[in-house]
Formats: sequence, C-alpha cells, structure tokens
Amino acid sequence: MMKHEIAELLPFYANGTLDPADRARVEAELSSCTDCAAELRELEALGTSLKSRADGAAPMPDHILDNALARIATPATARAATRLQTAWWGTPARYATAAALVVGFGASAFAAYHAHELATSQSTEAVRVGAPQQITRADTLVYRADDKNASKVHRSMSAGNPQGAADTTAQAAAPPAEAKQHRLAKTARIEILVRDVEGALRRAQSAVRGAGGDVTALADASPRTEGAVHGASLTVEVPASRLDGTLDTLATLGTVQNRAIDAEDVDAAIVDEEARLRNLRREETDLRKLMDKGGKVDEILTVQQNLSDVRGQIEQLDATHQHDLHRVATSTITVTLTEDRPNAVPAKPGPSARIDGAWHSGLNALADTVMSFLTTIVWCIAYAPVPLALAGAAYAATRFIRTRGATAT
Amino acid sequence: MSDDDDRRLLERIAKRDRVAFETFFRAHGSSVHRFVRDLVRDDGLAEELTSDVMVEVWRSAGKYGGRSRARTWVFGIAHHKAIDALRKRRATLVPLDELLGAASDAETPEAAVLRADERRRLEDALTSLSPEHRAVLELTYVEGFSQKEIADVVDCPVATVKTRAFYAKQRLRDALATAEHPR
Repeated sequence: MMKHEIAELLPFYANGTLDPADRARVEAELSSCTDCAAELRELEALGTSLKSRADGAAPMPDHILDNALARIATPATARAATRLQTAWWGTPARYATAAALVVGFGASAFAAYHAHELATSQSTEAVRVGAPQQITRADTLVYRADDKNASKVHRSMSAGNPQGAADTTAQAAAPPAEAKQHRLAKTARIEILVRDVEGALRRAQSAVRGAGGDVTALADASPRTEGAVHGASLTVEVPASRLDGTLDTLATLGTVQNRAIDAEDVDAAIVDEEARLRNLRREETDLRKLMDKGGKVDEILTVQQNLSDVRGQIEQLDATHQHDLHRVATSTITVTLTEDRPNAVPAKPGPSARIDGAWHSGLNALADTVMSFLTTIVWCIAYAPVPLALAGAAYAATRFIRTRGATAT
Repeated sequence: MSDDDDRRLLERIAKRDRVAFETFFRAHGSSVHRFVRDLVRDDGLAEELTSDVMVEVWRSAGKYGGRSRARTWVFGIAHHKAIDALRKRRATLVPLDELLGAASDAETPEAAVLRADERRRLEDALTSLSPEHRAVLELTYVEGFSQKEIADVVDCPVATVKTRAFYAKQRLRDALATAEHPR
C-alpha cells in the first residue's frame, strides 16, 4: 500500500523539482514499494503525453504580439508604467497620495454631511417663515483615476465665491494639465437664475448655434398657477474647442447657480478599438483570400459564416469607435434656466391665514416627531447586536462564575 | 532563456525598453498562451488574455521584486487573469476538431507519436477536469515548476498544491478510463 504523503510527492519527483531530503524519502520508498514504482511510471507517461501535446499545440498567432505592442504604445499605459518604476521617492509619494485621499474622503464626507444638515435646516426655516428658498453654494474640485488608468475631472464652481473657486483650481492644476494630453469626452452642466426664461432660452439657443453647435433636447415648463416658478432645460452639443467659450456666454444670461465640467479620458479605449479593428480587418482579408481559393461547398459555407461574423464584429466595433470619436469632438452641455423673481414683501397674514399656518405648523411638527421616533427605532435595531452581545457575554461570565463557585463548594 | 536573462529583460522593460518587451514576449508568449488556453478552453479569450498578461508585464515590470523566478511571476499573472476571466464569463468550449485541425499544421515529431484517437481522449479528459486541476497538471508536467513555485503562481499553500497534483492525476486517469470503456 502506497503512503499518501509519498503519493503526493511523486509528481514532483517525476518532474525533478523535489528538494534533496524529499527526494531521498521517495527513493527509499520506491526501492521497497511496488505500487509507488507503478505510480511513478504512470506519472512519467502522463508527463510525456502532456509535453507532446504542448509541443504539438497550435503556435501563438502573431497578431497577439501586434496587439500588445499597440496597447503599450498608448500614453496612458506608458504613463502608468512610468509611475510604477519611479525612483526612491515613488513609494512614499504613493503612500502620501493614498493618505491624502483617505483624509480628503473623510473630510469631504464630513463636509457633505454638514452641508446637507445646514441646507435641510435652512430649507425648513425658509418654508416656515415664507421666505424664498436659499441655495447652499459650495466649491469642490475632485480628481480621480479608475483602474483602467482613465481619468475623470469633475469641477463644480459657484458664482458666489469666484476667488475660492480660482484658488481651488490653482491648487489642483497638475492633474488637469496631465489630462489635457489625452482625448477627453467632456460634458458640462450649468444652472442659471434668469428674469425672463423665454428670452434667455432664445438667447441660449442663438449662442449655441453661433458656436457651431445644436440643441438636442428642450423642455420648457411654463407655470400653470400664478405662484409657480417658470423653468426650462435644454441639452446642447458644441464643438469641444468651443465648450469654455459657450459656457462663458451662457453665464451672461443671468446669475449662475452651479457650473460643472466632467471629463472622461477615452484615449486608451480609442487606441484599443483601433488595434482591434486593424486585427479584425486583417482577419477579414485572410478569410476573403480563403474564399477566393474555393474548395468544397461545406468549407466555403464555413468560411462564409466566419466572414459574416467578422464583418458583424467590425461594424459593431466601428460604430463604438465612431461614437467615442464623436464624444471627443463634441461636448454636451445641460443648461437649466429658472425664473428669478424679486422677493415680494410678505403681506401681514389675516386670522384665517394664521390659523391655517398654525394647523400646518402643527402637522409639520407632528410629522417631524413621528420621523424622529421611527429613526430612533431604526438606530436601536441597527445597534441591537452590540448590547445583546454584551448581555450575552455578561450572562455567560455570570454562569461561569456561579458554576465554578458551585463546583468549589 | 535563463532566469538571469529574464530578470535583465524585466529591468529593461521597467525602463520602457520596447525591444526588451518584444524579446520577453517572444520567449514566454507561447507558453503563457498555451497555459491560459488550457485553462479557459477558448481560443479567442486565450488570445485576449495573453495580450492582457503581457501588457500587465509591461505595466508592472517595476514591481517585480525578484523573490521568485521571472517565469513564475509571469505565470502568476496569467493564472490570476485566466481564473478571473472564467469567473466573469462561462467559457465557450472550443470544438475538439478545431483544436486537432489547428494542431496538425505545426505538429512536431514528438507530437506525431500520439495517435489521433489518443489525443482526442486526452483532450476530452483534460476538458472534464476543473481549471485548478488543469493548471496544476500544466505547471507540473509541461512547465516543470516545483511545488513552491506552483503555490506562488496559483496563490495557495504548498499542501494544497500537493493535494491538487495528486487528485488531478487521479481524475485524469478516471476520465481516460471512462473514455476508453464508456459505461
């Protein structure tokens, strides 16, 4: 009977990679165990078969090397590789970046939470006193890179603090400068308060057409009641080179509430598509040559089917490629126009309005109380495992002490 | 090509030497391609994965710490990518006829020793194994890796490698026996 530990070592004895001690153990066993010797013969035969099979396998197609060479020629790949082999400061710099990201994320989360709380309280307050709703303004600039080395730049600037926005932009000047070297698909959005929505809409369309762009979607929500606010939104496409200029022109329509630009690096995707298209076209040419040679009907049908598949792939990939190129050549802007009404002086409310107000305030307070109560219950449920675990531990400890006491007694 | 040669090539690749990359590709591309094709059993996917592995070598050559043989390091990348691809999508099996037909063009004298029906049975038996067992068989008998090197490549303890090598061979033998004497 062969020992299991020897059986597990035999494959590596057969391929000659065992260390001297294990090799000696196996050889000692082989001299006395006929099953082990038979097993070894089987393993050697298996090794020969697998090696012969590997030697006889189809050679690697050359286009894989072409594809890899095309891919490493892309700036994104080359830049990533350069970063990986940086000098002595490379590792500390990466750790510092990671630490900065963690701290930055924590600070952003805290700031977002704080801003949300502030906005909620201001909004509630504004509704209660009948004043127009205030919009909280914040300046943020985020730079991030995903796992495919594609980079995205998101910039949000408010009109309320241009100095702060400029400072933030200057501090993060390096990442956008790097992103400019690549083909970027840019989208932007701008929210503007205007006195006359219809007039602003006409001027916006005129500005877009003047920049060589066009309107792709338009939604104009006219007010149905006297107190409702008139709003409209339109989506436009402009040449990428005219994006900043068009945004500046649109900003003159009224008071800018929010202005943001997103840029996605599609350079690596485009280069990859081009390499794959080249390979597919080469394959198509080869298949056409095979078709021209002729042969049996079933062979011709097979080649024809393959040709049809390759053509389908080329057309699909070409459409994606053209779409990506279009995204680079043109930028999409979403413009939101909201009517900006001068704050009316609130009339002194009469008795019925005051009763009505008191009723609504009471309802609001009741809703707040119910929501707070429900929130508390949910928190209690979420934290329940902690006190339960503590109680369980305390109970177990008490039982243990009592049992020990009883045993001692 | 010796391990020292491979290490020197990786150093040059880390400095963005495309000639070194091409040399490294020509030295190891075929075995990496064969290894991932045996794991995923899909020619198209194997080509994509080989390209991915070599681009990863280009990107990460600076990360290679020299703790293992360069070839072990490359096979580790290949194994990781192949298993990842198998998890992401169910690989389409390549028809056996295609494999045999493709292989016949470049058949070597050693390969010719195997008769067509034996090769067919071996392919069938290998296909019936799990990717983990196929990987261990390939790395042990074709690449000639040690237990420790295989453990590095497939990222598991040495004891697991030994067990897998033992059971892979058992399963292969069972599959071959079933093919010879179908129930």
